[in-house]
Amino acid sequence: MRILLVEDEIKVSNFVSRGLSTERYAVDTARDGSSGIQFSQACHYDLIILDLMLPSISGGEVLKLIRQRDSNVPVLVLTAKDSIQDKVDIFEAGADDYLTKPFAFAELLVRVKALLRRGPVDRASCLRIDDLELDRLSQHVKRAGKRIDLTSKEYALLEYLMSHPGRALSRTMIIEHVWDQSFDGVTNIVDVYVRHLRGKIDARHTRKLIRTIRGVGYAIDEGGDS
Amino acid sequence: MNFRSLRFRMTAWYAGLLTLSLLLFGVSVYLGLEHYLDSALRKNIAEEARSIGDNILEDVETKGEKYVIEETTENYAPEINGRFIRITREDGSQLYQSSAPKDGSFDPTRVSGTREPLSSAAYRREPVGRTTLVLYQRRYFTPTGKAFLIEVGAPYREIARILDGLILILALGTPIIVALAVAGGYWMMQRALQPVNAIAAQAERLGYRNLKERLPIVNSGDEIERLSISLNRMISRLDDSFQHINRFSADVSHELRTPLTILRGELETLAQQRVSADHMEMIGSALEETDRLSKIVSQLLAISRLDAGEACRQLVRLDLGALAISIADQLRLLADEKSISMVCDIAPGVEVEADQIRLRQVVANLLDNAIKYTPDGGVVKLSVSLLKNTAILQVEDNGGGIAAADLPHIFERFYRSDVARSRSTGGSGLGLAIVKAICAAHGADVKVSSTQGAGSSFRVEWPRAINILRVDDRVSDTGLAGIANAPERPSASQATSFEA
Repeated sequence: MRILLVEDEIKVSNFVSRGLSTERYAVDTARDGSSGIQFSQACHYDLIILDLMLPSISGGEVLKLIRQRDSNVPVLVLTAKDSIQDKVDIFEAGADDYLTKPFAFAELLVRVKALLRRGPVDRASCLRIDDLELDRLSQHVKRAGKRIDLTSKEYALLEYLMSHPGRALSRTMIIEHVWDQSFDGVTNIVDVYVRHLRGKIDARHTRKLIRTIRGVGYAIDEGGDS
Repeated sequence: MNFRSLRFRMTAWYAGLLTLSLLLFGVSVYLGLEHYLDSALRKNIAEEARSIGDNILEDVETKGEKYVIEETTENYAPEINGRFIRITREDGSQLYQSSAPKDGSFDPTRVSGTREPLSSAAYRREPVGRTTLVLYQRRYFTPTGKAFLIEVGAPYREIARILDGLILILALGTPIIVALAVAGGYWMMQRALQPVNAIAAQAERLGYRNLKERLPIVNSGDEIERLSISLNRMISRLDDSFQHINRFSADVSHELRTPLTILRGELETLAQQRVSADHMEMIGSALEETDRLSKIVSQLLAISRLDAGEACRQLVRLDLGALAISIADQLRLLADEKSISMVCDIAPGVEVEADQIRLRQVVANLLDNAIKYTPDGGVVKLSVSLLKNTAILQVEDNGGGIAAADLPHIFERFYRSDVARSRSTGGSGLGLAIVKAICAAHGADVKVSSTQGAGSSFRVEWPRAINILRVDDRVSDTGLAGIANAPERPSASQATSFEA
């Protein structure tokens, strides 16, 4: 999988490409709009990550030119603007997704993966981590064969964590996915729900599946001890 | 018709003034004409009396009285001219009296006898039958010294007939002139005010989104052209300041968020390395602070955009009660954690127009706040009611309350009371400022009252939605929420489903 990253801030470009390389993607980086266009024409990319504020040619213009030539390549826009109108404009210009700066790398990764597997989406009806099972059809959750009753919010939270196993999901991502952005200011709603979820999932088991990653968020993966 | 419109008032005013001046004109013409006709008639009969004396009575002694009678009848023909002529001798006996005029307007025999004094010339008016005679009497002395009294009269009716005609002309003409003037003036006013209406219509179309458009300029060189030019200058200034705010927030967004992105990215990369637990702890703490800083930046920008009036563009009609209950249900777990009982008292059918996400934010922030500052086992009460045309959402708690000194400031940005500071609840200090900004952007109001030790009450007063069902608004209800979320995620309307 080949990704083009068009970002003028060297430091941002560095850690993003480093992180993506670690995930075994091939990453090319362009530092301004015109070289971004050249790269996109010279080579076939599976995904383009595009910063909106670029020197020489703006990200919006780059996006238009890309869409004129190749309407299929998915484009993920990075932007510092977050008003509703800006978001609408971004989608109207032909972006497939956007991410507001500053972002957690984990969130970038989640979106990159989502865009790369677009089309036949991987929606297995049954998610499994260690001895925890979640059946998306019946909405039943079992741990070690025993049925666990969850409220709809707890279920949505667990499903979101389990569909990204091993990934740290930020509180903002969780709020926007499970609740909606109007709860963004509510201080500790995610922590409270995760605590309840842990009480039901992990409390009676020695292997704890839900992990807190300080400063980042929560992740679920195969048995750690912490 | 709008009776307070400039057009109506102007037309009414000058129609009134025109009527008044026409009336004054009519009255003065009437009086002037009457005076003129009257004096002309008097002059006429006086002249007749003088000439009867000078030309006929002069010869009474030489040619006899019969001559006088014949000459008078012949020369003056009083019956044909509708005149009354009488000549009386010194002893009071009549020498001559004209007979009834042909038109029979008066009966000469009923004219009263000559009165004293016979000496001087005099006018008098005398009603005779149905008409009034204007009479002139004059003494005449023959060359030998014999005295006669000559009386000449004419019916006043002639003057009255002319004056009646004048009144008729005025009575018919005035309304016609006034009506023509009103119609013409109304039309003229409409023409003159048409540009004003065009300007008003265009000005109403202008909003935050299309400030680039300008009002039509009328090249008439008059006050209206000046008005349109000054309005356009004002719109330019508005546009400039909006653009300034937008540019500023875009710059601030970029300048603050880029370093935050780098900071966060580097810290996350660091967290991937093998570091000691102590260092991990520090990195985690630094990441948390980065998070907090990002949140403050977003909220400050949101407030500045709300202040600039941006948020009011996605208005939809919402049931405030249903919205409040759904938020309360989602926050119930937070209350349960502290064994706080959440009581809802929701009146049905209280509808408001609002930006859905923003209104939800108001309710969520107020409830979260109440739960945060209420001690374990307390009560938080949420109520929605309708007071005339105002929808009222009230969040009450029985927590520690707010000190009177803090009350006026709690909606200010970054203001924290000592209680809030000591608890370090980890908020941004902008929650209530956002609530206030959202309310203000919607023309709503938020108030707080509190008794220390007994609890606080926040009251949001939102204008009630007007009773027009706007179908297109309901359709767009979920549309934008869907865009605001990324693809592949459930739309906001799904995510806000009730807690089981």
